[in-house]
Amino acid sequence: MMTEPHIQPAVEIAQLHHRYGADPVLRGLDLILQPGEIYALMGGNGAGKSTTLAALLGFISPESGTVQVCGIDPVADPRAARAQMAYVPENVSLYEHLTARENISYFLALSDSRRGSDAIEAALTDVGLASSAWDKRLSGFSKGMRQKVAIALALARDVPVLLLDEPTSGLDPRAVLEFNRLLDSARKRRVAVLMVTHDLVSAVDIADRIGFLIAGRIEEEREAQASGSRFDLNALHDRYTHAERAA
Amino acid sequence: MNALRAEARLLLRSGRNLLALVLLLVLSCAAVWVGIAKIENQRATIERVEREQARDLASVEDANAGPEGDAGYNAYYAFMLTQDPPPALAFAAIGQRDLQPFVLRVRALGLQGQLYDSETYNPELALPGVFDWAFVLIYLLPLVVIALGHDLVTGERETGRLRLLLSLAGEGLWLRRIALRYGAVMAAVGLPLVVGGIIMAAPAAGVAVMLAGAALYCAFWFGLAMLVGGTMRSSTTAAAGMIGCWIVLTLVLPALANAAIARQVPVAKGIDLTLAQRENVHRGWDIPKEETFERFFADHPEWQGKQEFEGRFHWKWYYAMHQAGDASVAGDVAEYRASLARREELTRVLGFVLPGVGTMNLVHRMADTDIAGQLAYQDSIADYHTDLRTFYYPYLFEDKYFTRADFAAIPRYSPRAGTGSVALGPLLALALAALLVVAAGALRMRRISGHSR
Repeated sequence: MMTEPHIQPAVEIAQLHHRYGADPVLRGLDLILQPGEIYALMGGNGAGKSTTLAALLGFISPESGTVQVCGIDPVADPRAARAQMAYVPENVSLYEHLTARENISYFLALSDSRRGSDAIEAALTDVGLASSAWDKRLSGFSKGMRQKVAIALALARDVPVLLLDEPTSGLDPRAVLEFNRLLDSARKRRVAVLMVTHDLVSAVDIADRIGFLIAGRIEEEREAQASGSRFDLNALHDRYTHAERAA
Repeated sequence: MNALRAEARLLLRSGRNLLALVLLLVLSCAAVWVGIAKIENQRATIERVEREQARDLASVEDANAGPEGDAGYNAYYAFMLTQDPPPALAFAAIGQRDLQPFVLRVRALGLQGQLYDSETYNPELALPGVFDWAFVLIYLLPLVVIALGHDLVTGERETGRLRLLLSLAGEGLWLRRIALRYGAVMAAVGLPLVVGGIIMAAPAAGVAVMLAGAALYCAFWFGLAMLVGGTMRSSTTAAAGMIGCWIVLTLVLPALANAAIARQVPVAKGIDLTLAQRENVHRGWDIPKEETFERFFADHPEWQGKQEFEGRFHWKWYYAMHQAGDASVAGDVAEYRASLARREELTRVLGFVLPGVGTMNLVHRMADTDIAGQLAYQDSIADYHTDLRTFYYPYLFEDKYFTRADFAAIPRYSPRAGTGSVALGPLLALALAALLVVAAGALRMRRISGHSR
């Protein structure tokens, strides 16, 4: 990965500590994500992945350390920071009684976005949802189609940072490939993507860097190779298994 | 798209929300319609009785009129009509008008023997109360608020949307959602009231006061929905919590408090006063006439010295007997009325802590259909009865004939002026309760907006 030190990082986390009650969750987490970079954050349950996303979204006030999104502190100014990010939760269920188009339109309205129907249609096209489904209620959609709508919402917001929580969970292999194609297109548009995932295969396929979060800090990071196979899948698998055991 | 419009679409596209709102609208319309029909029925009854009354009086006049007409005979047989026409706002809060007489024909005989002479009603049917707008407001509106508001937060959390919603940059999500639901509920319950008010030519200020009461009561329940819904983790628990609040606040506590008030302030039945008065009147046949007149003169000294008559019977003795009968139960009557007033006062105090009772007090006072309104009607009957008696006494004690011209001079009852008023105490108490609960709910929602996992 080519670094551009003169460009402000999209996400910058330094020495982040946080605990829930007496239980420490993050213990000195450091993470920098550049524009146009896709970072896969992996780790076992309770490793602190969701807390990391919560810190970026300004849902929690960290015990110590700093968090910045495009130079904005989400704790000090959550509204401005959130305007820079689109977040796709795991297994998000949008409103069943609204159509795909209406759902995106609704959430865009909530985010004070002025993007209109052209942006919505472009996003729905980008995620590969058939136009015949755009005006159908979500109650008849498959899980993959719903996920596409959620991702279309994130794309329609046209923000510099995407936060994805288990984005490929429940998607079939073909849908995962389509999803990775989308992320690649986002990367080309200089969008920084932080995805929290258990899907090692997908991460290997699309990520520029893969970090293993163990006990609240990134214990190891692997960078994609410029040529040949991008990652050593076997080595990553061993590392991931170790991370899961540690959790 | 504007966020409020988007929120409105979201609200109205939900089958459950739409059903709850339509149901409330239909029930409000039905309640207003029932109220109007009931009031029209009471007006028709009054008109019908007025027509019958004119015919009845004419027959008494024909039977007794003449150069030597007998005032005593006339006072005995001529029933005079008193009526309490429904106030214009009664259609919305029927209150006591469903149970208490609104037409009463009285004679110059003892008043207490006539005042409670009304139709009997089935107490089991009377127990649930009448279906009117006030009923919909106090008992059904909270259920609709629960349907619309219990899962505002929990529903989003359960479907995994809460974090997504909170991650969006915009502000005022909960405020918009609650304000929109509040507006929709108020429209569903308020529009039928306004239309009913126009149809019944009700004073705009009265309708406005009722709407203000409804707005505060509705705000109280939405505040509670924010508080409970924002505290509980699941929609089921939140719904159960809200239903529990509804049962306790609108059913259990008012029932317990009413039972306590009834125990604390026992009230004799009106019919007991009637019986006591009748017994005292009948005792008059068995006691010396002087004793009866002595009691009578205590209230009417102006006729002292004119009690003598020849023979065994004279109407003046008979009416003095009745008047003495009334005087003999005057203490009981005062006690009865004081007990009613005390109960009314305790119910008013109860309204300061129970929003449902407070709202009930407010709308019934405004509609003039509460106990105070009923007592005001009784007072006006008592005043009229005094006029009637004092009209006849000169004929009886001065042995004057009663002619057709005298017949025309019999005083007629003028319906009382309405006493409907703004119950400021309950209104302020309701405002305070709504403010406190909404503030607590808003704080809870703000906490969710700021920090949610």
